[in-house]
Amino acid sequence: MKNFDWITPATPEAAVQAAAQAGRAFLGGGTDLLPLMKSGLREPTGVVQLKGLTGMERLELTADGITIGASITLAALCTDTLVQRSLPAVFDAARHAATPLVRNRATVGGNLCQRPRCWYFRHPDYACSKKGGDTCYAIEGENKFHAIFDNTTCNIVHPSNLGPAFWAHDAVVVVLGPKGERRIPVAEFWVRPEEDMRTEVALEPGELITSVSCKPLSGRSGSAFEEVNEKQSYDWGLVACAARLTLDGDKASDVRIVIGAVAPVPLRREAAEAVLNGKVPNEAAAWAAADAAIAGATPLRDNAYKVTMLRACVKNAILTAAARARKS
Amino acid sequence: METALKLNVNGEVRQVLAPANHSLLEVLRERCGLTGTKHGCELGECGACTVLLDGEPVLACLVLAVECEDRRVETVEGLSNGAALHPLQQAFADLGAAQCGYCTPGMLMTAKALLDSNPLASEMEVREALAGNLCRCTGYWKIVEAVQWAGRMSTGDMVPPQCLRERNAAGGCSHG
Ligand SMILES: Cc1cc2nc3c(=O)[nH]c(=O)nc-3n(C[C@H](O)[C@H](O)[C@H](O)COP(=O)(O)OP(=O)(O)OC[C@H]3O[C@@H](n4cnc5c(N)ncnc54)[C@H](O)[C@@H]3O)c2cc1C
Ligand code: SF4
Ligand code: FES
Ligand code: FES
Repeated sequence: MKNFDWITPATPEAAVQAAAQAGRAFLGGGTDLLPLMKSGLREPTGVVQLKGLTGMERLELTADGITIGASITLAALCTDTLVQRSLPAVFDAARHAATPLVRNRATVGGNLCQRPRCWYFRHPDYACSKKGGDTCYAIEGENKFHAIFDNTTCNIVHPSNLGPAFWAHDAVVVVLGPKGERRIPVAEFWVRPEEDMRTEVALEPGELITSVSCKPLSGRSGSAFEEVNEKQSYDWGLVACAARLTLDGDKASDVRIVIGAVAPVPLRREAAEAVLNGKVPNEAAAWAAADAAIAGATPLRDNAYKVTMLRACVKNAILTAAARARKS
Repeated sequence: METALKLNVNGEVRQVLAPANHSLLEVLRERCGLTGTKHGCELGECGACTVLLDGEPVLACLVLAVECEDRRVETVEGLSNGAALHPLQQAFADLGAAQCGYCTPGMLMTAKALLDSNPLASEMEVREALAGNLCRCTGYWKIVEAVQWAGRMSTGDMVPPQCLRERNAAGGCSHG
């Protein structure tokens, strides 16, 4: 890891000002930035500490919904009763991410901005397309963990657990930059490889995520996040799904189905939502929606298993969300 | 460039010089001479480097030493009280919970944080807390048992290990 200037601002504004100089990086919990720096994939000349910045560690109900400061840790998210009650998909997603030791440090802002886990990307010797080269090694190479949708240019899967869960709760990402504050609906936060190969998120250089606001459950509604892992103790999901629905009598309405770990960015499956809207969310309806969610998958040589797994994962997320809605 | 850092390690204030790009793990091992904390994957995946930062278990390989100024760091060297082993160390020795020992310092520190807040942790709670500490030798169950045993001993519940095993399996044991 190369040496760098250590910068400790006191306010988000000062952090943005410090990051305006090219080559500087924000440090949340460091659980992704430091591994990237150790393997030489990032070499910032200055590291700007985010810990302790005013307002970035709040977690509260506001007029905007539930506002989660970007420096809130995953450990804090998955032990908070407001989150458990009002944003159950977010609670589940944080609880399933990584290990307790990582969760004690990993922050919400860093989770959204973490880089892909593609082993060619992480290996310093492969100059793949995402790193400025002209080849995606995963197309013909080892692609067991890669994308089963939108996988012609770069086959990464977005690793963030919070991404799909925030989307299921119609989140807005609040960002502070040199030109002031911007509010980015989570649907517009993700950047596909075809749009820009170098990044996965719609942040301008030097822009800081200060918080994420999520729509809490209201009325008879429920949400859930499910994932399937190779190893239970900790692992990135092989497939993931966040679902939210409201019960109108015994019928589902206002359904959200967002899948993760299967495409370069989280994907909202509106066709699957349409199948479930207006139906009793029982097992048969959940399978039908799951069928719509996997439609159009284009698995690679080693990852066709993900299609079947995703189908079951979507079904389970819907049934858990429905069971929670019935109990609410 | 090196910065002067004031670290509080195991209750002792230490002044060290280190560059900003040094992890807490490097500073503990190379500048403080505290080599009990182990250097494993360096990427957050193995838990060998676990220490407590303000009482909370963290991976020292993914914390910068400059972040730790004036914060409380606890390492495995601080566990025993002179020659008297910490109950966790005693239980690991008595129940064979360490083989090669490489994972042990990290296991002990994660387990200490758990028992400090929950001395009567269930088997599942111990397994969940230790999910980020890998062990390639023991197969884990002796570690889980040692952690539970140490917690119970510290609260005066002198349950013999075989009863603990039965309790975990059946929710009770023949000795009551
Ligand atoms: C063993 C292991 C297993 C894991 N498993 C999972 C998993 O199952 N699911 C999952 O979702 N994640 C998983 N992760 C990833 C982990 O959740 C992320 O590394 C973590 O959330 C990143 O947060 P951080 O605060 O540590 O970010 P940092 O490492 O500090 O930063 C990451 C990036 O985000 C930028 N950044 C940080 N905060 C902000 C901000 N407020 N505004 C703008 N940019 C910012 C940094 O500049 C950097 O580019 C795992 C990690 C490890 C090591
Ligand atoms: S999937 Fe993307 S990151 Fe991985 S090798 Fe291909 S271009 Fe590179
Ligand atoms: S050395 Fe820190 S987690 Fe492996
Ligand atoms: S005792 Fe050898 S790794 Fe755990």
